[in-house]
Amino acid sequence: MFDPYYLQQLAIGLSLGMTYALMAIGFTLIFGVLNVVNFAHGEIYTLGAFAGLVLISATAPPIVAVILGALAIGALAGFSLERIAFKPFRRFTDEASLKSRAMRESTLLSSLAVSIVVREALEIVFGSQMRSVPFDYLINTPVRVGPVILVTGDFIIFGVAAAMLIGLQYLLTRTRVGLAIRAVSNNPLGAKYVGIDTDRTIITTFVVGSMMGAAAGILMGLYYGAVFPAMGFTPGIKAFVAMVMGGLSSIPGAVICALILGISESMATTFVSSGWSDMVAYGFLILTLIFFPNGLFGARRERV
Amino acid sequence: MNAFETVAPTDGLSRRRSWLVPALILLLVFAALPALLAGFDRGYFYQIANLALIFVLLSASMHLVTGVAGLLHLGHAAFYGVGAYTAALLTSKLGLGFTVTLPLSGLVAALVAFLVALPTMRLVSIYFAVATLAIGQMLYLVMLNWVDFTKGPNGIIVSKGFELFGVSLSGRLAAYYTVAAVVTLSVVAIGRLSHSYYGNALRSIREDDQCADAMGVSTVRLKMEAFTLSAFFAGVAGSLWAHMTGYISPGDFKFSESILILAMVVVGGLGSLPGAVIGALLLILLPEGLRALGDFRNIMVGLVMFLSILLLPKGLLGEVSALRLVRRQLGAAWRNTGPGTGKGEGIGWR
Repeated sequence: MFDPYYLQQLAIGLSLGMTYALMAIGFTLIFGVLNVVNFAHGEIYTLGAFAGLVLISATAPPIVAVILGALAIGALAGFSLERIAFKPFRRFTDEASLKSRAMRESTLLSSLAVSIVVREALEIVFGSQMRSVPFDYLINTPVRVGPVILVTGDFIIFGVAAAMLIGLQYLLTRTRVGLAIRAVSNNPLGAKYVGIDTDRTIITTFVVGSMMGAAAGILMGLYYGAVFPAMGFTPGIKAFVAMVMGGLSSIPGAVICALILGISESMATTFVSSGWSDMVAYGFLILTLIFFPNGLFGARRERV
Repeated sequence: MNAFETVAPTDGLSRRRSWLVPALILLLVFAALPALLAGFDRGYFYQIANLALIFVLLSASMHLVTGVAGLLHLGHAAFYGVGAYTAALLTSKLGLGFTVTLPLSGLVAALVAFLVALPTMRLVSIYFAVATLAIGQMLYLVMLNWVDFTKGPNGIIVSKGFELFGVSLSGRLAAYYTVAAVVTLSVVAIGRLSHSYYGNALRSIREDDQCADAMGVSTVRLKMEAFTLSAFFAGVAGSLWAHMTGYISPGDFKFSESILILAMVVVGGLGSLPGAVIGALLLILLPEGLRALGDFRNIMVGLVMFLSILLLPKGLLGEVSALRLVRRQLGAAWRNTGPGTGKGEGIGWR
């Protein structure tokens, strides 16, 4: 077991899990905390990566500027996504329509439709092939830590994920904005009655969550060195699985489950084959839904 | 709700009219279209006609589970794939013909659906949707990665075309007639299922499953039946596809195909069978008609879906108007046998 080979696989799994966690944090904020079904988060991630790539190939700015650019695009994309795919379906604010399944499912379908349009538009503009990131910007210089080899990107991703996690927890539990977000997710109508601008709170959440999605996208692009229009689909599913496993509203839970997922997948790749490793996430999802409907770390939910 | 108003007793005139639309559709599908196709006599047009018919069947089968029973199903293409792979493997490994593979494809797809439904059917709303997505992706991964059995990404060549008890039907026109006959029969069967007491029980689950449960409707069982039945028809469509194209690969059954089928049902109007048929025809034929757009085909699927959710939340042909249409046109079988008409043998609304 203490063969360095397995230790290395464990490290690979951890860094894979970190990349899922990066995606899962923003995803859980919108989907789990705000309780809005959003299928377009994967496309925000892709948009962030492409924004970074375009910036790099146009002006070759320092890496911090690239990330800031991606964040700006993410904020813009989150804002427009909310306006286009979610706002029109909140036409009525009475209790029945806010709670109705029809509304929730129409936003599910509309975000799905928007995600198709964005992905296909990116494919038309940039082509469906992988585009490689210029070598200077890659964050995969190997670093030796004891018996295992990591790359600089692992540390950057770890740092960013930790910063996001702590920042979000602070935002959600210690600030008025976070209080408003939690109030709106708990009871939109009640929040409105006590004077919270629900529309603005929802937009804020979308902007913050989408910025995190876009940051995850550009970091992943720099980490793997490849950017392509369909890149958001798989991490989106993995983030969803991590969120459901973590118990929907719990961001730390989602992060821990993302790590578990990453390690399991890397073990599956080691012991079975890489083609089957995606099966792990889907299997985990089904098993969690059946056996732990409240998630591993979540609070009680009414119905699953 | 309007859908449950009673039908006025009909006189001779409207009784005759009630057979007009089905007769016209049958005439169109079995006489006018083949004549047109034979007139042009280009393989490409036959291909498009067959493809459109197969997607009509897929859309109709999804209508049963998503439109009528209200279960958002994001993995339908996988069951279509199971059917296609069953047909292809039976043909290439055992040398069986279409007559045998058609029902077997449906049955295998239904069996797989039943097995995956056992644990997942108790989930609701978004959890159910994501569970079906996961199941669809798992089946897709099996098709892609179980190379020994499914030949993986290389796909399988299906050497036999259509036949009926040994009589070859692989000519262009004969193949079209085969596809048309199977699709028409299946759509009629789905129509009879969804416009019956059974369909109403499924609708009650869609409207409020807790309430239906409390009223004594066995919701989990009904959901499983709807899911399995819809997979059966998807499997039949898969068998048609395998024998029609002669070559299948996992790429034909991936997530985007499930979304395409979902878009057809949503565009046509959730819960409306004529809507599902129209949606399928629209989303298959429109991109072909607008070939100049080329790459924009998929973007159009998304746009049409988005606009129809936004502007026509009830779809092109909403459920209520569709129900009226069906009752008026196919009235006799489920006509209200109220006072004056004698026996209460109709299977429709009483």
